[in-house]
Amino acid sequence: MNCVDVRDVVLAHQRGALALGEDAAVREHLAGCAACTRVEQAERALSEVLEQRLPQHPASVGLKRQLAAQWPATVTPRQSWRRLAAPALVAAAVVLAVTPLLHQRFVVAPAQRDALVTEAVNDHVRVLLSERPIDAESSDIHQVKPWFGGRLDFAPAVAFGGDAEFPLRGGSVGYFLDRKAAVFLYSRRRHAISLFVVRAEGLQWPAGRLETSSRGYTLIVWRAGELGYVLVSDVESGELKTLAAKVMGEPA
Amino acid sequence: MADSARDVGTVGREALAYADTLHNLAHYLTGNEPDAQDLVQETYARALRALHQFTPGTNLKAWLCRILRNTFFSEYRRRRGSPVVGGLDTIDPVHDAADRELDALRKVVAQELEAALMSLAEDARTVILLDLEGLTEVEVAEVMGCAVGTVKSRLSRARAALRRRLGEDAH
Repeated sequence: MNCVDVRDVVLAHQRGALALGEDAAVREHLAGCAACTRVEQAERALSEVLEQRLPQHPASVGLKRQLAAQWPATVTPRQSWRRLAAPALVAAAVVLAVTPLLHQRFVVAPAQRDALVTEAVNDHVRVLLSERPIDAESSDIHQVKPWFGGRLDFAPAVAFGGDAEFPLRGGSVGYFLDRKAAVFLYSRRRHAISLFVVRAEGLQWPAGRLETSSRGYTLIVWRAGELGYVLVSDVESGELKTLAAKVMGEPA
Repeated sequence: MADSARDVGTVGREALAYADTLHNLAHYLTGNEPDAQDLVQETYARALRALHQFTPGTNLKAWLCRILRNTFFSEYRRRRGSPVVGGLDTIDPVHDAADRELDALRKVVAQELEAALMSLAEDARTVILLDLEGLTEVEVAEVMGCAVGTVKSRLSRARAALRRRLGEDAH
């Protein structure tokens, strides 16, 4: 492989998208070529800044409400109106009866959950960009949790104190929507993982455990009693699920 | 084809979940908030009208991004008379100022990054944003109406242009 060949595939190499042989050839070339190594480093740095620093412009809550209102729960399929008349009348009656519930379930609730997910990603990015992301720097949960005393109006119930897979880096106080949050920072290799713990009251939490993604980040959201939990990171979703299970105290 | 009432409701809820992605793309295409909001609303209106053309099981986000980009071309750029900025073909992908670029990348702040991205041509901006959104090369090709192989070279040139722009701005 020459320099031109390598620079064509350097991004695929970084993303693990090359076949083994081609990947080995790239590695071999990089080991002996300082110029391509610098390009490879610059590409990696560009990926990092795009993922972590490029300003995001999410839709406002008002726009989302407008969009939800303009998109009907149902529309008439392209079929003869005669065939649909009878069932449509029945459907209309049902819709009239359950519209408030549907509106809450399919419009209001998803919009609020979207807001929650957006906030979690924004907060995670803020943590990443912060010069001092950790106020209480410690890998000992028994030092981090007491540190929150007097700084929050609730006690963050987190028992998982990190392990070799997901070491605890510390904690800090953040803001999540309209309330204070306990922020626990874990890591997985070089990836940062934020766990936000907040009072759950007044926010739209999923019935069970919600696993979703937004702007390249994976999130797991759940509620346990009076507290809500949000895990956010750019690690693989399987790894985040493993951490979520540990935080929830589920058996391995 | 999504032509049943149930599908419409299901697709609608999923489509609304992409409002942030679409608005972000719209912002970087139009460069301002009012036009971005208009573009997103028009995109959803068109998507609703064209829903019978959507194939369930395919990538809804990519489908919506394609509608948004087509709407941007057909409505907003024509209305605003915006010229096509720059030209990717003039950019040399093998730019040998990696040290300067790397140094600049380590120091770049959000506003500089956004400004540098906005200074690129539309197709360069779009391919970077769609890649950032995690779309595959096949999906990006569908959005941009080009061959899959073209996506790879466009992305490579767009990223090189962005690195170079950031490197220039640092001086």
